[in-house]
Amino acid sequence: MTARRLDQGGRIDRATPLTFRWDGKELTGYAGDTLASALMANGERVLGRSFKYHRPRGIMSAGVEESGAIVSVGQGARQEPNVKATMQELYEGLETRGQNAWPNVRRDLGAVNGLFGRFLAAGFYYKTFMGVPLFEWGRGTGLWMKYETLIRKAAGMGRASREADPDQYDHAHAFCDVLVVGGGPAGLRAALTAAEAGRDVILVEQDFELGGDLLNDPAGEAERGALVRSVERAGVRVMTRTTAFGLYDMGVAGLVERVSDHLSAPAAYLPRQRFWTVRAGATVLATGALERSVAFGGNDRPGVMTANSGRSYLNRYGILPGERIVVATTNDSAYVTAGELAAAGAEVTIAEARNAPGCELPAGVTLRTGVAPLKAEGRSKLRALRLARPNGAGWQAAGREACDLLLVSGGWSPVVNLASHRGVKPEWDAELACFLAGDCDEPVYMAGSAAGVWTREACETSGVEVAKRAMGLASNPPAAGGWTAPIRPLYEVRLPGRKAKAFVDPQHDVTCSDVRLAHQEGFVSVEHLKRYTTLGMATDQGKMGNIIGLALMAEALGKEIPAVGTTRFRPPYTPVAIGALAGRNVHGHFKPLRRTPLHDWNLRQGATMTDAGLWHRPWYFAGPGETLGDAYVREAATVRQTVGICDVSSLGKIAVQGPDAAEFLNRVYTNGFAKLAIGKARYGIMLRDDGMVMDDGTTWRIGEADFLMTTTTTNAGRVMVWLEELLQLRWPELKVHVTSVTDQWAGVSVAGPKSRAVVAACLRDPDSVSHETLPFMGVAPVVLRDGTEGLIARISFSGELAFELYVPGNYGEAMMEQLWTAAARHEGCLYGLEALGTLRIEKGHVTGAELDGRVTIRDAGLGGMASTKKPYIGKALQERPELQRPDRPRLVGILPKDRSKTFNGGALLCKPGAQSGFGEGWVTAVTHSPALGHWIGLGYISGGHDQWVGQLAIAADPVRGEPVEVEIVSPHMFDPEGVRMHG
Amino acid sequence: MADQVTALRAYHDLGEKAGRPGPAGVTLREVSGFSLTQIACWPETLTEVGAMAAQVAECTEAPAPGQLASGAQGMLLRVEPLKWWLIREADRQPIADMAAEVGAALDLSSARTWVRVEGEDASMLLNHFLPLDLRPQAFPPGSVASTAFHHVGITLWRSGEAFELALPRSFAASLWELLVDSAQQYGVVTGEVAYELEEGSEK
Repeated sequence: MTARRLDQGGRIDRATPLTFRWDGKELTGYAGDTLASALMANGERVLGRSFKYHRPRGIMSAGVEESGAIVSVGQGARQEPNVKATMQELYEGLETRGQNAWPNVRRDLGAVNGLFGRFLAAGFYYKTFMGVPLFEWGRGTGLWMKYETLIRKAAGMGRASREADPDQYDHAHAFCDVLVVGGGPAGLRAALTAAEAGRDVILVEQDFELGGDLLNDPAGEAERGALVRSVERAGVRVMTRTTAFGLYDMGVAGLVERVSDHLSAPAAYLPRQRFWTVRAGATVLATGALERSVAFGGNDRPGVMTANSGRSYLNRYGILPGERIVVATTNDSAYVTAGELAAAGAEVTIAEARNAPGCELPAGVTLRTGVAPLKAEGRSKLRALRLARPNGAGWQAAGREACDLLLVSGGWSPVVNLASHRGVKPEWDAELACFLAGDCDEPVYMAGSAAGVWTREACETSGVEVAKRAMGLASNPPAAGGWTAPIRPLYEVRLPGRKAKAFVDPQHDVTCSDVRLAHQEGFVSVEHLKRYTTLGMATDQGKMGNIIGLALMAEALGKEIPAVGTTRFRPPYTPVAIGALAGRNVHGHFKPLRRTPLHDWNLRQGATMTDAGLWHRPWYFAGPGETLGDAYVREAATVRQTVGICDVSSLGKIAVQGPDAAEFLNRVYTNGFAKLAIGKARYGIMLRDDGMVMDDGTTWRIGEADFLMTTTTTNAGRVMVWLEELLQLRWPELKVHVTSVTDQWAGVSVAGPKSRAVVAACLRDPDSVSHETLPFMGVAPVVLRDGTEGLIARISFSGELAFELYVPGNYGEAMMEQLWTAAARHEGCLYGLEALGTLRIEKGHVTGAELDGRVTIRDAGLGGMASTKKPYIGKALQERPELQRPDRPRLVGILPKDRSKTFNGGALLCKPGAQSGFGEGWVTAVTHSPALGHWIGLGYISGGHDQWVGQLAIAADPVRGEPVEVEIVSPHMFDPEGVRMHG
Repeated sequence: MADQVTALRAYHDLGEKAGRPGPAGVTLREVSGFSLTQIACWPETLTEVGAMAAQVAECTEAPAPGQLASGAQGMLLRVEPLKWWLIREADRQPIADMAAEVGAALDLSSARTWVRVEGEDASMLLNHFLPLDLRPQAFPPGSVASTAFHHVGITLWRSGEAFELALPRSFAASLWELLVDSAQQYGVVTGEVAYELEEGSEK
């Protein structure tokens, strides 16, 4: 191929030259060029190396089906492999490189693989598992581990950057009456027709310009311009550089919009791509058709392209792609191309596979009929084409044509991919030698050449008529076809007994021999053929090779193509970047973060935060030089000595309102709530239907028909959904409304011997928290000194005298300031989740670590809360015999025998000398107890602590540490009588 | 009363306009100083409670599902089949107690953070996150929807040209960050605005 840029012509902007780099070389192209056209104009022929054999590859097409010019673009974190040069818009400073080659694509040492081609046939990878013949026969290979790395290195495509993606991506949703995919003649007409009829239309085009094949035809430019202007005037929402990659249920289409991939210095505020979910009333697929090649020797050589791409390079990019051109065709579509290339100064010969053309021979073009391409000669540059003529059922040599460019048209394959995503079966049309989309039972319609309509005029009519159909109007779209003489179906040309590398799927180096080998070895189903040979599994997903592969298999089986079937296309039509799928759900926004009303206040006080479900909660408040261990021990000790304040706003809170609220709670909780007095709180446990503990918390009776339920932080959502489900499905007769009020309240726990003094100092009526006015488990409305109204409850998780004080979230910081000032007078502290853990472990209070979904209320030592007098959810199934076994693991306290030692959370509890298997139990929580002066833990062990009196257990953690001898005690390790709490 | 610290107090002061040069395509403002009361009824008290709610807001009638109604004393949103939200100025008296057999009122003033999204690109910005048809014919002024924003259940309504979001307070800052980040491509101004009854309400 000796390509050169013509002095005039093309759609490129010659006034805007662009400099770019290819493998370190600085080259120039123009605005309007693709990377492929710019490289071609610069005389670059070898742009890639093939997957297995490292064969030199050049430009094979001008579109998404490109299988030769696959390159890497960008640098550093923005390096992107496997970019089709035909789809990459040129921009100033574009950095590009060849890939899968060393030192470069022109001289690639990997090409030595080609010599071992016969060992690298289809399935070689699987066969390597079978073992080295003779030595490892029949028992699999041990060498696999060694040569796997080598194989992986030798084969492959480009390499992705190892750095984090620096770009932003957006998700977006759009809605329209009619979505038109494809901005060619049919798509433009369809969009215009629908928009002029008042429909809201989105038109999607993967190219950077509208027009489709009109862009390849200078004579059609006036018409194209007028059509595009009409479309815009009619209010169509036009999205160029946007690929509809998939169609889904209910008119949903997935699009990827390339917002800044074509800009040399995109602004920081722009996302790189947008990932669209479009919901359309009807969808018109005017996705065009892709030209096929034919399998013959060396059909992958640089200088062999599809015929219409030759026209595209000539007319769109102003390049004469060759001087001596052979156009090998099986149909009429290539004649216009041949004529235009001849008019532009090339010496053009048509090698017509039929005995006569169906159209007039263009001026200046030589015609040879009844011949087909047999072998492309040359290596990195095409020198000549050997031809063949039919001989009975086979072929015989028919001379040689010197040439530097071979354009091949083996026919056209309508792009039925998107319809296929909807489960539409492609149907073989023997006359047109292509698959057409069958009927779709959804409002998805094929238009233009995607429906097998070949002529421009008919495509435009098709667009108009199919748009009418999409609008539910009467319509009469043109039938498929349109050539005056039929195509001669042709898939492979070879001489009997001669070996040649004829490629079916050039991207994955699948040859005709591979397809025949698959047949020989019994992989005759089209699905097996695909997987065994990897035909159609490259980045083009079979756009180039599928039909030829099917035809070869049909021939081998002695069947017709439709009898072999075809694989369904799956999304995406072209590759979609992972970043586009992720959108903005990355980094800190991978999950939404929940902040309490005191979040910023806590941070200002030096809190170190930790995750608690979606929340950030204070973990500990380190003083100068303090570690986590120092801080939490100090905090827990301060709570027991004076007072501590802890943000508990993240606890789930649910307003339960209605005349049947008490009855509802009575059914949900295992213990009685029907008679809970107004102004009282009660600790409750709720079970799942299967009798296992679901969640626990206190519920406060604010009024006759008004309760405030609290849940654990992490189970709040689950409990809310559960309550809604019960009310809507199981007990719709109950008059109860549940509303999440978690976000309404800022809540703090004030705990410690001085807690009453601290709270009282902040209230208008200090007496409202006296022991008489607010006894243990009492609840009351309160007014803070600044007038803020809130709720107070005398409840304790720490085992100390403690209050939970709630005010509306917006007043949280003001409340905290008052409390903190008052606490300072008593040398109080702020405490975080770690100290909270210590305090509750000392008391044997359970959390999610203990209530892990596997325990019954009795296992958790709370059997006394299971009412025998009333039914409640989970009551029946918790009576299952298995759950009654006396040796079930029960909640216990754990102390190291040697009090100076510690043990690990998650360790298994075993009998001495029997440290194997699942052991007798496990450790759920460990902390250093400042109250007891040594490490303590909670856990479960078979039979509970009564069974282990006088008997040591071993906390075994073979992965992380040495076994430790432990004593099993009651979980209530500190102040078991609760004197301090009631004080 | 103490100062209120809203969920976005620390987040909405970008100072200058950010992102795309030229006029801002989006204005994001936190609306403060409102009260939000949920008014719930039972199936048989729907009409009765609706009339009571409409009376409090001083609008002609309580809105149907997916709708809002504005009155001289406040705005009513129908957020669920049996629930309205009454939005009023912050210092209004609590509504009179209802008998439990009639319905239930609940203060949610601090439970939601109100974000107003305005500007030429407002609906486009929201459609980066909300899978809702916001075209004028599908979501005209007066429409209300419960929807999902980055996994979080939110309430959206349209008053005049502006879109209004009621975000759960605890998620508000996280969702606000997403809005501000994505709005850079349209040019964005952020700020705070005190609640006022919208113009054109039945005064």
